[in-house]
Amino acid sequence: MGLVSAVLSGFVLALIAPWIYRIARGATGWLLAIFPLALFAYFLSYIGAVAAGDVVRVSYPWVPSLGINLSFYLDGLSLLFAFLITGIGALVLIYTGGYLKDHSHLGRFYGFILFFMASMLGVVLADNTMGLFLFWELTSVSSFLLIGFEHEKESSRAAALQALLVTALGGMALLGGFLLLNQAVGSWEISELVRQGDAIRTHSLYIPIVLLVLAGAFTKSAQFPFHFWLPSAMEAPTPVSAYLHSATMVKAGVYLLARMTPALAETALWTGTVTAVGAVTMVFGAAIAFRQSDLKLILAYSTVSALGIMMMLLGVGTAGAVQAMVVFLFGHALYKGALFMLAGAIDHEAGTRDVNRLAGLRSAMPVSAAAGLLAALSMAAVPALFGFYGKELFYESLAEDYLMPVLLFASVLTSMIFVAVAVLAGIKPFIGETTSSAKQPHEAPISLWLGPVTLAATGLVLGLWPSMVDKSALLPAIHAVLWRPVFLELALWHGLNPIFLLSMATLASGSGLFIFRSRLLRLFSWLDALRDCGPRNGYSLALAGLNAAAQAQTRVLQSGYLRYYLLIVVATATVLSGYKLLQDIESLSFGRLFDVTFYEAAPALLILLAAFMATRVRSRLAAIAALGVVGFSVALVFVLFSAPDLAMTQFSIETLTVILFVLVFYHLPRFAILSSAWTRARDTFVALTAGGLITAIMLKASGVELHPKISTYYIENSVPLAHGHNIVNVILVEFRGLDTLGEITVLAIAAVGVYALLKFWPGKTETR
Amino acid sequence: MDASLIPLLPGAQVLLTALVVMLLDLFIDEHERGLLAWISLLGLALCGAEAILLWGSSEGTFGDTLLLDNFALFFTQIFIAVAALTVLSSMRYVRETGIHEGEFYSLILFATTGMIVMAAANDLMVFFLGLETMSVAVYVLTGMWRSSARSSEAAMKYFLMGAFATGFLLYGIALIYGATGSTNLNQISAYLLEPQGQWPPYLFVGGLLLLVGFGFKVGAVPFHFWIPDVYEGAPTPVTGFMAVAVKAAAFAAWARILMHELSPLDSDWALPLRVLAIATMTIGNLLAISQPSVKRMLAYSSIAHAGYLLIGIVAGEEWGSTSLLFYLATYAPATFGAFAVITLLTEQDKPKEDYGHFAGLGFKRPFVAMAMSLFMLSLAGFPPLAGFTGKFHIFRSAIIAGHTDLAIIGVLNSLLSVIYYLRVIVMMYMNEGGVKGKSFIESPYLYTAVGLAAAATIYLGVLPMRTLEWSRSAFSSLF
Repeated sequence: MGLVSAVLSGFVLALIAPWIYRIARGATGWLLAIFPLALFAYFLSYIGAVAAGDVVRVSYPWVPSLGINLSFYLDGLSLLFAFLITGIGALVLIYTGGYLKDHSHLGRFYGFILFFMASMLGVVLADNTMGLFLFWELTSVSSFLLIGFEHEKESSRAAALQALLVTALGGMALLGGFLLLNQAVGSWEISELVRQGDAIRTHSLYIPIVLLVLAGAFTKSAQFPFHFWLPSAMEAPTPVSAYLHSATMVKAGVYLLARMTPALAETALWTGTVTAVGAVTMVFGAAIAFRQSDLKLILAYSTVSALGIMMMLLGVGTAGAVQAMVVFLFGHALYKGALFMLAGAIDHEAGTRDVNRLAGLRSAMPVSAAAGLLAALSMAAVPALFGFYGKELFYESLAEDYLMPVLLFASVLTSMIFVAVAVLAGIKPFIGETTSSAKQPHEAPISLWLGPVTLAATGLVLGLWPSMVDKSALLPAIHAVLWRPVFLELALWHGLNPIFLLSMATLASGSGLFIFRSRLLRLFSWLDALRDCGPRNGYSLALAGLNAAAQAQTRVLQSGYLRYYLLIVVATATVLSGYKLLQDIESLSFGRLFDVTFYEAAPALLILLAAFMATRVRSRLAAIAALGVVGFSVALVFVLFSAPDLAMTQFSIETLTVILFVLVFYHLPRFAILSSAWTRARDTFVALTAGGLITAIMLKASGVELHPKISTYYIENSVPLAHGHNIVNVILVEFRGLDTLGEITVLAIAAVGVYALLKFWPGKTETR
Repeated sequence: MDASLIPLLPGAQVLLTALVVMLLDLFIDEHERGLLAWISLLGLALCGAEAILLWGSSEGTFGDTLLLDNFALFFTQIFIAVAALTVLSSMRYVRETGIHEGEFYSLILFATTGMIVMAAANDLMVFFLGLETMSVAVYVLTGMWRSSARSSEAAMKYFLMGAFATGFLLYGIALIYGATGSTNLNQISAYLLEPQGQWPPYLFVGGLLLLVGFGFKVGAVPFHFWIPDVYEGAPTPVTGFMAVAVKAAAFAAWARILMHELSPLDSDWALPLRVLAIATMTIGNLLAISQPSVKRMLAYSSIAHAGYLLIGIVAGEEWGSTSLLFYLATYAPATFGAFAVITLLTEQDKPKEDYGHFAGLGFKRPFVAMAMSLFMLSLAGFPPLAGFTGKFHIFRSAIIAGHTDLAIIGVLNSLLSVIYYLRVIVMMYMNEGGVKGKSFIESPYLYTAVGLAAAATIYLGVLPMRTLEWSRSAFSSLF
C-alpha cells in the first residue's frame, strides 16, 4: 500500500498545488518540498532491507481478464532512482520559488512539476509493463506542458511539441514492444519477464521486441539520431531543465534498458545496437557541447553525451560496465543538476547565459562560485569528488575488455571534452575580469543557491567518503541489473595504475582543450556547414512535408463541390463491386438479350436517345423534358411487362418531378456550360462504367428463380386461421393488424404535424 | 402473434417521449419550453432503466425481425447516454441560436428511436426503417439553425448525399434478397451456412453495395466528403450527436449485418475493407492537420476514428468485435465532450470554432480547459484515458488476428493525430488573450454535460473492466 500511495499522492498534490500557492505564495516552494523530502525519508527506510536483497512488491488487479495489474516493485535500481527523483525534486521545488518568483502562473507550474514527479516515480516503481507505459507517457505529457510553460515564445511551443512528438513516437514503439513481449511470454509483469529471459531471447518475436523497446528508450534518453529534442527543450524554465532534462526524465530510457537487461540483453543484436548508438551519441554530444556558447546548451549537449555513455556501458553489459554505469549515473545527477541550477542563477543575476560574456562573478556571487567549482571539478572527474569514481570505473570497464580500444579512445576523447566543458560552464563565469553586463550581479537568494550547493557538497562529501553509498545504494542497483553477485568498493586511492594515469592525462589534456577552445573552434569552423543536415532538419522537413501534404489533400479532395463528391462515391462503388463481377464475366447470360419484340425495343431506344439528349442540350428546360421522356419510357416498359400499378406510380412520380424541376429551375440563372472538355470526358467515363455495372448486375440477376407468391398463403389460411372470407379484410385486421395500427398512428402523427404547421401559420404568429 | 412486445419497449419508450414532447410543444408557452428538455431527459432515463433491467434477455419479436439482445442493449445505452448529453448541452444553446426547442428535442428523440431500431434490427428491411428514421431526423436537425446559411447548406448537402448513399444501400439489400431469398438475417445466415456449390455472384455485389452505404454513414474514406461540411455547418450539439451516436448506430448495424450474419463472405471483402481502413485513418488524420477550425478538425478526426474502428471490423472474431464495441464506448465521451466545449464557446448565435478562439481558455476557464485537454489527450490516445484503452484493444485485436501491419499503421496514425490534438492544448494554455469578456454560454447543464463526459473519459481509461465485460457479452449475444 505504501508504494501505491507514494506514487499516487503526488498526483493529488499536483491537483491542489495551485491552491496552495494562492495561500502560501512565496513560501510555496519550501512548503511543497516537504512532500518529496518525506518520500525521500520513506524510501530511506527501505534502504537496509533492499541492500540485504529484499524486494517489495504490491499488486492490485486492474484489468484481470487481460492479466493487467496495477503493481509496484521496489528493488535496488528503483530505489536509487527514487532517491534521485525525490531528493533532487525537493531542491528543484525550492529553487523554483526563487527562479520563477512572482511569475503569474507559478501555481500551475508547481502543479506540473509535482505531476511529473509522481509520474516519474511511477515509471521507476512500476512492475507492470502497461503501468510503466502509462507513467512513461505521463512524463512525456508533463514534459510537454513544462517546456511550453514560457508560452509567449513561439520557439517554446514548437520545442514542446517536438519533444512530445519524438518521445510519443518512442512511447508507441515501447507499447508495441510490450504487447509483443506479452505475446511471447504471456506476462505483463516485469518481475516475471526478467525471469523468462531465455525464453524471450529464443522467441521468434525477439528481434521486433528488442527494436521496439530500444526505440522507446533511445527517444526518451535523447540518443542519436533522436537527440535533437533535448537541446530544443532548453526553452523550458531552468528548474525544468535541471530536473527533467538532466537528472531524471531523460534517464528513464537508461532505466528501462537497465531494467530489461536480464530479459533482453546478452545477444549480439542488443549489445551491438546499444553500444554503437550510445558511443555515437557520446562523441557527437560532446563535440557539439564543446562549440556551444549558451550555458544551457552546453549543459544540454553534455547531458546528451553523458546519456550516451550510460547507454554504451549498458550495451557493453559486463559486470564492470554496469558498475560504471550506475556509479556514473549517480555522479552525473549530482553535478549536472547543480550546474543547471547554477546556470539559471547566473542567468537570473547577470542577465545572460553567453559564456563568452560571463566572467568575474566570483566576487558578486561567492556561494554560487564555490558550488560551481565543486560541480565542475566533479564533472571533470577530479579525485576526491564523486564524479571521479564514475570515470575510473568507466575507463576500467572498457580497458578490461580486449575488443574495446576504439571505445576506450572515444571515451577518453569525450572525457577530455567533459573537462573543458566543465570548466567552461562551472568555473569560467566566475573567474577573470568582471565584464560589464546588463545587470549589476548580486548573490542569488538562498532558494537559488541551496540546490546547487547541496548537490555540489554532496558530490564532495561522497567523493571523500564513498563508502556512505557504495554498498547501501549503488550495489543493490547493480545487482538488480546484473542478477549476479558482484563486488563494489569505491576507494579514492587504488595505487598508481594505468587507469589512474589515463585519468590524469585526460584532465591535463582537457584543460588544454579549454585553453585553446577559441582557436580550435576556428580551426573546425568548416564543420558548421554540417549543422543544417542533421536529424533536427529531418524532423522539421518531415513536419513541413506533412503540412504541405495535408493542405494539398484538402485542396484536391475536399473541394466543396457536391458533384465532385458524388463522382468519387460512384466511381468507388463501381470499382468495388465491379471487380467482383469481372472475375466471372463469362457467366453473364446474354441468352435472352436479343429475344425482344419491337414494342420492347422502341421504348428502350427512346430511353437511350432521351438520356443522350439530356446531356447534350443547352437549355435547362429541354434537359428536364428529356429526363421526363426517360421516366415515361420506363413506365412504358412497366406497362409492357404487365405491371400497371408500377407504371401508374412511375407516371405520377415522373410528372411530379418534372413539375417540381420546372418550378425550381425557373428561379435559377441562365444555363451555362462551365465544365471543360476533359471534365465532361471524365464524367462520361464514370457514368458509362456505372451504367455498365448496373447492366451487368441486371444480366446476372435475370437468372434468379422467383419465390412462390405470398398470396397463396393468405388464400389457404384466411378461413382456417382467421375465419374470414374477405381476404383483404382479413389481411388488414388480422394478419397485418399491427401494421394497420402503425399506419393509423403514422396518420395521427402526420395530423399533429399539420396542426402544428397550421398553428404557426404566418397569419397567427402574434403568439411567437 | 405469439411473440411478446417487450423487445419493442426501449424504442417505444423513446418514441413515446418524442410524441409527448411534440404534442406538449403545441400547448405550452414560450418561456415554459425548458420543461420539454426535462421531459426528454426523463423519457431517456426511463429507457435507460429499461435497458438495464432487460440486460441479458434475448428475445425476438415480429417474426424475429427485431431482436433485443445484449448487443442491441449495449448500443441502446450508448445512444441514450449521448442523446441525454445532447439535450443537456443544448438547453441554452437552442435559445441563443433561436432554434425551436420542441422540434429540436423531439427530433433528437426520433433519431434515437431510429438508432435503437437499427441496433436491434434482425432484418434488412427493419434495419432500413431504423436507418431512415434516424437519417431523416438528423437531416432536419442539421438544418435547424435557420438563420445560418452554413447550417442550411450542410443540411442540403447531407440530405442529397445521404439519399444517394441510401440508394446504394437499398440496391445492396435488393440484391442480397434476390440471392438468398430472404431479408431476415437468421435466414440469410442459414442460407450462407448451407453447404452448396456456389453463391450467386451478385450476392457479393449486394454485400459490397451495402458496404458503400455503411461506408457513407460511418464516414469512411472515400465516402467521407459530407462529414466536414456537415459537421461544421450543423448546430454544434447536433454535430456531437452525429459524430458519436449516428456513427455508433451505423457501426452497430454494420457489425450485426456484415460482420456476423454475412461473415461467411468475410474473405471476399477482407481486401476492400483493409484498403478502406488504411485510407480512412491516414487521409482523415492528414486532412485534420491542416484545418484552421477546431470544429472542422474534429470532423476529420472523427473520420480517422472511423478508420481505427474499421480495424476492429477487419480483425473480426471475438476480440475484434469486442474491441469495436468498446472503442465506440471510449470514443463517445471524448468526442462528444469536445463538441460540447465548442458549444460552450458560442456567443449570441456566433460560433467561435477556430484555434484562435481557444487562446487563453486555460486561464479564463481552468476547468473547461482541463476537460478539453482530457478530451484531446484521450482522442490522441494517451494513457490512462479512455481513448488509450480503446486503441489498445483495437490494435491488440489486430495483432491477434494477424493484421500486424494494420496495427502499425494505426499506431503511426495516432502519433500523427497528436500534432493537431495538442495544438488545442497549446492554444488554451500557451497563448494569452483571445477569449474576452462574457462570451460563453453559461449554462449549468452544459457544464454538467462537459463534466460528465470528462468523468467518463477518465473512468473508462482507469477502470475499463466493467465496460469491457459488457462489450464482450454484447458481442457474445450475437451467437
